Amino acid sequence: MVIDLDKCVGCQACTIACKSENNVPHGSPEEQGLRREIYWNKVIAVTNGRYPRVNTQLIPMPCMHCDHAPCVTVCPAKATYRREDGVIVQDFRRCIGCKYCIVACPYGARSFNSKEQDEKEYHRPDLPPDRSVWGMWPFPTRTHGVVEKCTFCFHRIDQGMKEGKRIGKDVVPACVEDCPASARSFGDLDDTGSEVSRLISSRGWVRLREGLDTKAKVYYLPK
Amino acid sequence: MRPFQMNLTFTATEGKSRGFYILLTILAAFAIAGFFCFITSYVRGHQVLGTSNVVPWGMPIVIAIYLIGLSAGSLILSSLTYVFGKEEYRPISRIAVFLAIVLIFGAMVAIALDLGRPEKSWRLFMFFVLNNMRSMFAINGILYGGYFVISSVYLGLILAEKSKPTRIMGILAIFWAVLVHMGTGAIFGFIAARPVFYSPVKPFEFIAAAMVSGLALLTIVVVFVFKFTKRTFDNRIIFSLSKLLLALIVTLFVIVLIDKLTHLYPPHREPVIWLITGPYSWIFWGLQLGCAYILPLILLFHPRFGKTTKGVIGAAFLVVVGIFGERFALVIPGTAHPLPYYPGKIEGIWGAAGSFLFTPIETLMSLGMFALMGLFFILGLRYLDLLPVNESGDENPAQGKGG
Repeated sequence: MVIDLDKCVGCQACTIACKSENNVPHGSPEEQGLRREIYWNKVIAVTNGRYPRVNTQLIPMPCMHCDHAPCVTVCPAKATYRREDGVIVQDFRRCIGCKYCIVACPYGARSFNSKEQDEKEYHRPDLPPDRSVWGMWPFPTRTHGVVEKCTFCFHRIDQGMKEGKRIGKDVVPACVEDCPASARSFGDLDDTGSEVSRLISSRGWVRLREGLDTKAKVYYLPK
Repeated sequence: MRPFQMNLTFTATEGKSRGFYILLTILAAFAIAGFFCFITSYVRGHQVLGTSNVVPWGMPIVIAIYLIGLSAGSLILSSLTYVFGKEEYRPISRIAVFLAIVLIFGAMVAIALDLGRPEKSWRLFMFFVLNNMRSMFAINGILYGGYFVISSVYLGLILAEKSKPTRIMGILAIFWAVLVHMGTGAIFGFIAARPVFYSPVKPFEFIAAAMVSGLALLTIVVVFVFKFTKRTFDNRIIFSLSKLLLALIVTLFVIVLIDKLTHLYPPHREPVIWLITGPYSWIFWGLQLGCAYILPLILLFHPRFGKTTKGVIGAAFLVVVGIFGERFALVIPGTAHPLPYYPGKIEGIWGAAGSFLFTPIETLMSLGMFALMGLFFILGLRYLDLLPVNESGDENPAQGKGG
């Protein structure tokens, strides 16, 4: 995924799109203050300098899906693992809730589900029934006591691959689809013809916390 | 090999006095209350505990690593008799081994209570099949499980008074205890994302802290058990143990100093500076440095207090409290500092330091864990031959601290 920071306006549409697509539990303002709300995607504001010479940057942060993911290394139960295509997924049925991955993640991308979800009437008629009942996704009723994180909407990608659609053009994750400024692009980084490859070769890019050598796969195009 | 000296015989406490039953009832009540608190947290989710996404580990993990330390320290000390043949420690060595087993059991319970889905914890023990052996936590699963088995066999051999296998088992038990606690240190020390944790010294710091706290707890427990069961006690044991305690505290102090000093140099200074100056600094300065190192050192070096039983017990008590503070200062402020996602000041909740709430349920659950261990400990004294035979009159078995 490539995120153009020049285009991001900080509207949080990606956060909301993620919540509704993936049925991420809602939290109250108190829970948000206590940092118990579950966010798969967050937008942080970073200020540098002092008034009147001040600059605030808005950084949307999904899971970075690192190639050297610290969370995959530390997970004792193989609940978090790297798929063949490089997506780091979290299997709620395997997760024992030890929270070691939350401690190890340098991006704060993981959240612990600390309560039973209030509303259970989550219906996704567009999803094939086999997935919605037995697959590890999308968990119409969520269980508490496990760790959750962004999945790059792999249910969309898998479905699109099956239907022979072009990933990155016809099928994108929910946050990419809903971004009003088209700040986000999604695609195959190994494919030289893809939009994301074109973007990161056309401009300078940064990855967050390079010092930890996580080889993150979310690239940011700075202003 | 030195033969066992058979002039010392061991027995169980009578366990018929009123004090014993009152203590048993109180401990059982607390353990049951703690169990109900656990059920509440299991049914309602971890919202009833003080943890959050910033401070993911709370009191159960603090208590777990504290207990693992106490256990490893206690087991290593028992080897003074059974491996190195120091006969003067024989009266207390059986208690040391039994205490180690009770404490490691308590630590396992504490870890299980911290899990979000404890019913799936069997996955931790599916070594190489269902679990990821690159995870320090999974490796520690082998270490803890093996430790429990080894120390139980060890105690069995001691109770059966088989000297040669005991010695072999004792050597294995020391190595395993060292591994267990170094492994626990590695759980923290290998996490690059948390600068307070991240240090190659962590396993060594943990083993030093284990020895210090295990020795201090053993001293306290032995003195109290012997006093409440009206047994005569050779005070020379206390003073030789206090010399060992002194040396170990100095070692631990040096290791912690190295660890913190390296962290005060760039590149990852902020979290450690926040730890020693921020809202949790009183735990670091007051409990960790004050109670665990400086005050006990003053007490033990003091020409008058260092020579009295009360002074040594006071120092040991301070150490036991202080090492708890050390664990707390590691686990909770270690994760509470915000992660530096991007250079600059991160606004709002994402850049704010996390705080840990002491909730009634979590506190009662923690007390319940200690009560459960106390219960097992006094039942052990009642049914196993752990104490030397009383030469001086009445049995009045009742004792205070279990763990």
